[in-house]
Amino acid sequence: MVEKMTATYRFDRLEQTLSQLNREDCLIMAGGTDIMVLHKSGRGVPLKLPKPLIFIDHLSELKQVFQNHKDIHIGACCTYSELLEHPLIPVSLKNAIKTIAAPAIRNRGTLGGNICNASPAGDTLPLLYVYNAKLLLRSVTGDRIVEISDFIQGPRRVQRYQNEILAEIILPSVLEEGAYVVFEKVGNRNADAIAKVGFAGYIRINEARIEDVRFAFGAVGPTMVRSIDIERKLVGKTIPLADADIVQVVAGFDKIIRPIDDQRSTATYRKTVALNLLRYFLSMKQYQAN
Amino acid sequence: MSLKDISTSVPKKDHSGKVSGQLPYISDVKVENMVYGVLVRSQVAYGKIISIQLPNLPEGYEAVGAEDIPGPNFVKIIKEDQPIFANEWVNYIGEPILMLVGKDLNILYSLLKEVKVIIEEHQAIYTLDEAIKQKSAAGVIMASYEFGESLETVSAIEQGAHQIIEEEYDTGYQEHVYLEPQGMLAIYKDDEIEVQGSMQCLYYIKNALLSALACGDDEVRVVQSPTGGGFGGKEEFPSMMACHVAVAARAVKKSVMLVFDRSEDMVVTTKRHPAKLNYRTALDKVGNILSLSVEIFLDGGANVGLSSVVLQRALINSAGVYKIPHFHAKGYVLKTNTVPNGAFRGFGAPQSFAGIESHLGHLSKLANIEPLEYKRKYLVKQGDPTITKGIFRDPILVEDMIEDLLKTSEYKKKKQEFQRFNQQNLRYKKGIGTSLFLHGCGFTGSGERDHIKATVKLVKSKDGIVMLKISNSDMGQGILTTLCKIVAKELDLPYEDVLYPYPDTKVVPDSGPTVASRTTMIVGKLLERAAKKLKAQWQSGVDQEVVEHYVHREMIPWDEKTFTGDAYPAYSWGVNFVELEVDTLTGNVKLEKVYGNYEVGKVIDDRIMKGQIDGGLAQGLAYGYLEKMTSKQGKIQQKSISDYGPPTSLDVVPIESKVFDNPYADGPYGAKGAGELTLIGGAPAVQAAIEDALHTTFQQIPITPEVIIESLWMKEGEEG
Repeated sequence: MVEKMTATYRFDRLEQTLSQLNREDCLIMAGGTDIMVLHKSGRGVPLKLPKPLIFIDHLSELKQVFQNHKDIHIGACCTYSELLEHPLIPVSLKNAIKTIAAPAIRNRGTLGGNICNASPAGDTLPLLYVYNAKLLLRSVTGDRIVEISDFIQGPRRVQRYQNEILAEIILPSVLEEGAYVVFEKVGNRNADAIAKVGFAGYIRINEARIEDVRFAFGAVGPTMVRSIDIERKLVGKTIPLADADIVQVVAGFDKIIRPIDDQRSTATYRKTVALNLLRYFLSMKQYQAN
Repeated sequence: MSLKDISTSVPKKDHSGKVSGQLPYISDVKVENMVYGVLVRSQVAYGKIISIQLPNLPEGYEAVGAEDIPGPNFVKIIKEDQPIFANEWVNYIGEPILMLVGKDLNILYSLLKEVKVIIEEHQAIYTLDEAIKQKSAAGVIMASYEFGESLETVSAIEQGAHQIIEEEYDTGYQEHVYLEPQGMLAIYKDDEIEVQGSMQCLYYIKNALLSALACGDDEVRVVQSPTGGGFGGKEEFPSMMACHVAVAARAVKKSVMLVFDRSEDMVVTTKRHPAKLNYRTALDKVGNILSLSVEIFLDGGANVGLSSVVLQRALINSAGVYKIPHFHAKGYVLKTNTVPNGAFRGFGAPQSFAGIESHLGHLSKLANIEPLEYKRKYLVKQGDPTITKGIFRDPILVEDMIEDLLKTSEYKKKKQEFQRFNQQNLRYKKGIGTSLFLHGCGFTGSGERDHIKATVKLVKSKDGIVMLKISNSDMGQGILTTLCKIVAKELDLPYEDVLYPYPDTKVVPDSGPTVASRTTMIVGKLLERAAKKLKAQWQSGVDQEVVEHYVHREMIPWDEKTFTGDAYPAYSWGVNFVELEVDTLTGNVKLEKVYGNYEVGKVIDDRIMKGQIDGGLAQGLAYGYLEKMTSKQGKIQQKSISDYGPPTSLDVVPIESKVFDNPYADGPYGAKGAGELTLIGGAPAVQAAIEDALHTTFQQIPITPEVIIESLWMKEGEEG
């Protein structure tokens, strides 16, 4: 029984890669840290891949980080290790990246991969959601930009067409001054762990009044949980928040966070901790911009 | 290199092979005419096999099952209750039924999916609690023992007591997570089956093979491969795999390799027994203990395996390091339809120490006495009787070890600091906890004299090179190095001139299994004596051989029926202090400082001892708060290392340790056992520290973030 070899492509340029994707549906491999695990097929047997494989990890077009006005553009194939070294990357995102896996995985894994893998427990996702990250998708027919929350539709389900590549992650207005951003990953241990709960909070204050506030929760539902409605109710309130406001926000998320029991934790734990982290964030007496 | 002080570290014998990655482990080996094996396993927890339908097997692919076993269909361990291939009843999910063998693993995996096993399902027992409820049903109790003060006396004391405290304590599974998963290869030859693999006990395997193959002594041979960690997981389990590959090799007349990947290994191999420990303690007005009764239940899983012996050690350690008046103990191994539980570093003692340390900690709170102070009132002293009417013969240094740690850790100052910190910080709470423990070295009771009867051999060549011929396995714990050091020092030879090749039963006598913290103390002592003998008759330029046999030190004879006598020839001791911080929002625990003082007689190699301390303590700490394995409807839920969660280098802090000298007359250079001891104090110290941080009590390990959050939530409810 001789198995057909899976076709693999590794082009020098993004352009050729996009042309190939336009011709053929391929499995796109950036760092491979998810694909290699997902398609494992038993000890001593090579990966079984459902489609031809196309490598993009080496494409320099996908590895740039630059500033455009107040936005940061991050090439989708920048590895976590590269981002940790880059001066333009916000400290809060670096802190989130440091909680991912371990150095070997961070040397391979990419920010674009974390998004396209669309795991409910994707480590950087809560933070990217509160940054209102936009994604630049490129194909032979041109570019389009989508909101991360529209792009990710469910566990391992993203709105990417067969001929598209996620080229850039755009963090809009991230260089605007005055936002305080928090990220907390709760795992079963301090490295090589899959999140049981993820929380990101973003708040911008002007003379004790809230100008903008955002929250996102990871690993407590099929995708990140965020509520623009709840966030809006806090805009204009003064810091420190009144107990009644805190209770109302927590109650709001209590209704929409519906985690599951699995081999890593319990639904009760996930929900309690998610709300604990939220309450703690809301109860702070002051928020120092970071 | 010649050795002045035996403790001075030397390069490990296997250092360069391991560090360079050149050393071949069993899964790296390929031999001629070799096929792979994969196992058809039961998907049902308890049931009767009705039929097995095989797919059409391509040429060169064969199925091997119970009918191919020349001898009786059980793995020879203690009782005859573990089939090599289940052919009538299945007793747990994952139990091997058949093996498919052939050249290509890819094809084997797809054939595996096509095998249809029809099983008539029967009502299974999935948990220890269910088993306890059904204890009186036939076959549920697999072993039991009872001993100590008579129940009449205990109940008379209870009548007059100020109060009776009852506590129930649960401990969870622990998985070994040896770096190298289990693997075994049977090399087929016309007149011999040679089994190679990752293992701790060559002669256990050889005896299992002699039974399964019903063959002569010279028709099987067992050779240890470099072994990437054992922790007890490669004590009895490899015997079953060895039977699988050897039976298959004999049946298909080819060499057969069976290697598990991590998820298969995590799901089907033995684990540490989950346990329930019930304490019933009579106290006087000021909280002094008048009597204490303990009842221990171990979840044996589907086969008894070594569980009865594990229970013995759990019971013998059930009073911890304390002299408790009017102590009574009984214990049971109960059958559940889950993966069989087996040997694991500590062998029943970690459950008992977690339980008794927890219970005494809680009693100290009732008595309103600082926990360590309360425990010290009951600490055993040299000459005191053991709970089995043996004697603690040798000097006990635990008091000195405690005093030293009180100073080093600035215990009192820390406690005050933490109190202040906890008042100011709403989110994080710090705590400090301690544990006191011992480990009985060597086999329980008269095992060494009656069952093991160890023999060692030294072979000297013409050019003065000396080789160790013993059946013990280096599994990373360093005996290739330590045992060579003992022989080299005794013979005044350079360490490089003493060799210890991987053992092969064709050429080594049975020096016993590599278990029970016995290797350095028992085998090392025999080697020391053999070396003395060789030195006395040393002749240059000729081949020489010396043999030594185990000699039993007369003590109070062990009687397994009455559970009395000296359970162990000697004890090693330890004290742990742990400082940590609990995040009350997430329940996460962060270790801050970990201290360990140990007494193991005499250290044979400082660096190797440090390795045992750091590794053992990390494993023991994790048992208390980090590693969590669960079984649901008979299925292990955590199939990957990340889901199970053993500690990483970011979870453990540098361990500050010290080893106290207290040479033991019957150990080589005074050495006693060290390997298991280092694990035992971790969990109870972590528990005590978490309790100290949160001002609450727990009745279980592991104390995971889930447990902590639930407890904080309950507490909040109580406080309104």
